[in-house]
Amino acid sequence: MSSLDTNLAHEALPERQSPFLLFLRRLSGNRAFVIGGSLFLIVLVLAVFADQIAPFKPGANNFRARLEAPSAVHRFGTDHFGRDILSRAIHGGRLSLFIGLSVVLFTGVFGTLIGAASGYFRRLDNILMRIMDALMAFPAILLAITVAATLGASVQNVILALGIATTPHTARIVRASVLVVREMEFVEAARALGASHMRILFRHILANAMAPLIVRLTYVFASAILAEALLSYIGVGPPPPAATFGGIIANGRDFMVEAPWVTLFPGLIILVVVLGLNLLGDGLRDVLDPRIRV
Amino acid sequence: MRPSLKALAFAFGLMTALVGVTPAVEAAGGEIVIASVQGPPSLDAHVTNAQVARNITLHIYETLYARNENAEPVPDLAEGVSVSDDGLTYTFKLRQGVKFHNGKEMTSADVVASIERYRKIGVSPALVAAIDTVSAVSPYEVAIKLKVKQSVFLDNISSPRAPIAIYPTEEAAKGANEIQYIGTGPFKFVEYKPDSHVTLEKFADYVPNPAYQKRDGLAGKKEVLIDRVTFRFIPEAGARTAALESGAVQIVETVDGPTAERLRKDSKYVVHDVLPFAFQVIKFNHAQAPSDDVNFRKAVQAALDMQEVMEISYSGINQVDGGWVFPKSAFANDAGLDQYNVADFEKAKAFLSKSSYKGETVTFITDNLRPNVDIATVVQARLAEIGVKVDIKVADWPTTSKIGFTKTGWNFWTHGFGIEPFEGPGTVMSAFVGGNAQMVADPEIDRIAKEFYATLDDAQKKELFKQFQQRMYDNMVAIKAGNYGLFQVTSDKVKDFVPFRIPRMWGVTLAP
Amino acid sequence: MRDYLLRRLVSVIPVLFLVSLMSFAVIWIIPGDPTAAFLDASSTPEDVARLREMLGLDKPPLVQMAEWYGRVLTGDLGQSILLRIPVLSAILERLPLTLLLATLALILAVGLGVAAGTFAATRRGTWADQSVMSLALLGLSVPDFWLGLLLIVVFSVQLGWLPSGGYVPLLDDPLGWAKSMVLPTITLAVVQVGFIARMTRSAMLDVISQDFMRTADSKGLSGLYIILRHGLPNAMMPILTVTGIIAGALLGSAVVVEQVFALPGVGRLIIGGILSRDYPIIQGGLLFLTVIYLLINLVVDLLYATIDPRVRLE
Repeated sequence: MSSLDTNLAHEALPERQSPFLLFLRRLSGNRAFVIGGSLFLIVLVLAVFADQIAPFKPGANNFRARLEAPSAVHRFGTDHFGRDILSRAIHGGRLSLFIGLSVVLFTGVFGTLIGAASGYFRRLDNILMRIMDALMAFPAILLAITVAATLGASVQNVILALGIATTPHTARIVRASVLVVREMEFVEAARALGASHMRILFRHILANAMAPLIVRLTYVFASAILAEALLSYIGVGPPPPAATFGGIIANGRDFMVEAPWVTLFPGLIILVVVLGLNLLGDGLRDVLDPRIRV
Repeated sequence: MRPSLKALAFAFGLMTALVGVTPAVEAAGGEIVIASVQGPPSLDAHVTNAQVARNITLHIYETLYARNENAEPVPDLAEGVSVSDDGLTYTFKLRQGVKFHNGKEMTSADVVASIERYRKIGVSPALVAAIDTVSAVSPYEVAIKLKVKQSVFLDNISSPRAPIAIYPTEEAAKGANEIQYIGTGPFKFVEYKPDSHVTLEKFADYVPNPAYQKRDGLAGKKEVLIDRVTFRFIPEAGARTAALESGAVQIVETVDGPTAERLRKDSKYVVHDVLPFAFQVIKFNHAQAPSDDVNFRKAVQAALDMQEVMEISYSGINQVDGGWVFPKSAFANDAGLDQYNVADFEKAKAFLSKSSYKGETVTFITDNLRPNVDIATVVQARLAEIGVKVDIKVADWPTTSKIGFTKTGWNFWTHGFGIEPFEGPGTVMSAFVGGNAQMVADPEIDRIAKEFYATLDDAQKKELFKQFQQRMYDNMVAIKAGNYGLFQVTSDKVKDFVPFRIPRMWGVTLAP
Repeated sequence: MRDYLLRRLVSVIPVLFLVSLMSFAVIWIIPGDPTAAFLDASSTPEDVARLREMLGLDKPPLVQMAEWYGRVLTGDLGQSILLRIPVLSAILERLPLTLLLATLALILAVGLGVAAGTFAATRRGTWADQSVMSLALLGLSVPDFWLGLLLIVVFSVQLGWLPSGGYVPLLDDPLGWAKSMVLPTITLAVVQVGFIARMTRSAMLDVISQDFMRTADSKGLSGLYIILRHGLPNAMMPILTVTGIIAGALLGSAVVVEQVFALPGVGRLIIGGILSRDYPIIQGGLLFLTVIYLLINLVVDLLYATIDPRVRLE
């Protein structure tokens, strides 16, 4: 939270109100944040309390009820195992969100460190960026497919692959912001006042480079969920009996025309989750970056 | 006077008949496009036994003997064979006037060179392992001398698995996967665009085998009535069906159950059931605990409901059948079948308690083909009911087969057994000889197989095969879950198509 | 500027070397070998060993690596094990389709995205802004392979308007070619349109809130003039970064789209190479894609330097 506070400290605040309360008040007044946050919260609650909420066990086979269309019993229909798609989707959120969050942590930490070091200490820039270039040159999807297809798909492999794949872009975005911010007057002023590199980097530059990073991390979270779906679709996602959004879609791909609900509903859920995340990021961004606040 | 009703009907009938016949003549020619799932690793028939390759190569190349509609070996490039009294020398008389696609006539030199090449680099060396020497007796006679008597030699020489295709001498001199695709088959190779298509065209100088009146399996009269055939590779099931429904392709090599059900209701398509096409097998690794324990293996068998297993993975196109040959085979018997498809958790738990299983996690490996993953998933759920924890490892085929060919890293492995049962009981048995599939040799199976290959007596072969099947269950060497099939779908424009393992494009016509 | 270009070009060499090392690491890590594509499950370990020898795969990895570097330096990427043709010709044969697909999608994405983003930024907070941005968000949130499947079901199966895939050469049948590219291009572009629109909007808003824009505004200049003369050029840095990333991402996503729509592009070549362990294809393909990525990044960096001279002074 400290970086957010520093950020807000740059502008004239009304007296007698703590920066944190002000921040919360602005967030709650931001429509994108509220809608996105609610969508995300719903999915989060469903995922956490999946065992209590889901009407069926996610792995309960019943081949006599295979590929049933949506009904009062199976609201989203059944897959070709006769499993309830709604229940699988609720449970699927659990693993998909875990993967997304892990990837965000990975890329957030490494991307920021590398990007900031590279943008601020220009001597490091060349080496770091060349390594990032090399990593980036492996298309993220190919890298993930290679790791998952050949080493066997496991949750750790998927997180590692997506984490490595998303870090260079994050680093580049942080670096680009740092490049711009470090030339601004207030940084020069701090430098002239004899502030240390670390203080300048973390207190002034990074704090002001936060907005693009947060947009990026939202995008990483969302794209990790999309990428997991893609891996499962290609047949290299987390193995059974794990239910993930992509795994459910993959189960229905061979019956797209005859049983569209198997692919349609989980796809829509992915759409909603990712949409929620993106709105959430938008809201945070609007509130965090005071310059564009009207 | 009114014309008689009968005469009118006759005249009308004649007219319809004429009208019906005329277009069939005009219809000769045209291009048929077949939608396949994936492309072949190679079109050099000697170096691959992948099914995707043989679907195409068996249109380009031919073998001395080939399998007929009932999978029995019958002459194809050969006119016939004479076997010496000691059963060691096979003299093949070749058909005369058979042309290669390069215009050259096939003679004994080509046959000798091709078989020698196969002995050197062929990927199913077991097929030619019994051969001692191959020699040309005359331009149209080839003698093959065996080291030991082999009851299945003609089965081997006619095998479509990795066919012992006859190439021209010059090509037979080239290394693995380096040849020009020249054969004697009814179609000749035009182009291969990987990940896109293979195109073949009618071989104009092809002379159908005069010994036959009609199509017969991979032998018989191969008369080509179309100009070209293109195999188009479309990995996505939905896209394959869409291509058929939009008229871009005329034949789909395989569709899933629900799609077949839908297309069957539409008069524009004909759905052909190719059943049985293959066994679905769940292999055990006998070299690794706990699947080294026969009681553990029996517990697994007892827990499974084969109708559930087969119906989920191959809906609408499966047979719940535990025999280690196809049901219509002369070798079909019921030895050991009382132990198949028990679906009894209490029995399974009883076996389990007699076994060395201590609650550890067992590993089920599978490639990422949907039906195979489905089977692993169903087995996992069933075994959870008796307290066996199963970890499924899904990877692509090279990784999975690499693990499955070794003694560690797996307990179960499921896949199809397609060509083995088609070739016959000898090939099915050979998969378990020397512990090839199960990683630890089973002396009883090795003994039975050895006697089976050495005898020429049919009654004795049947008795030995019965013993084999009994042993498969008594020692629960591997589980046969059932038979599955393929739905081949043709558009109503494709006439005279007769379904077979390999979608044969000879004898087929295309309506305009 | 020439010095800068030279420096950037030289810096590409270590990256290429790093990537080639990484592709070797990939090959070392992944189990299985090219024989698996040729063999069924009943093959014996002896059969595998025999075929390995026949395909010339029995050399130790270090020897193979040394040989490979020796050849690459002379411009020879080696021979594909399965396809029997030089790796470079295999790639060049597939490249036009992938580049074309990516270019069509990039044009669509940048054109629509920048227009939508700028439009939304200038109408910040209005219903127009919100609807455009909602659409962009929706586009950004769609799983592309899923969209591709839906498009096939709707436009190929139900309506029968467009082909479900397959490759139609441009010269053989221009209309058929155009039809065959529609669904893949849309599938590929939709996500990127949303991405670019969002980035353009936020970059524009950043710029609009800065002092010189306020100054321009207070001088009474017209809105459109301010945006085009001052706004867009100053928002170019982030937009460029994103476009560079997207050009790369498009090549990656093209893999998926090629798979869904059965198009024989470079992506499927490499995926096929990975799945069949055709090592020369994997190595050559990855190196080739790397070169393309680096070129894109180089161009982006050069544009940076052109737009913002401060960058190239460092």
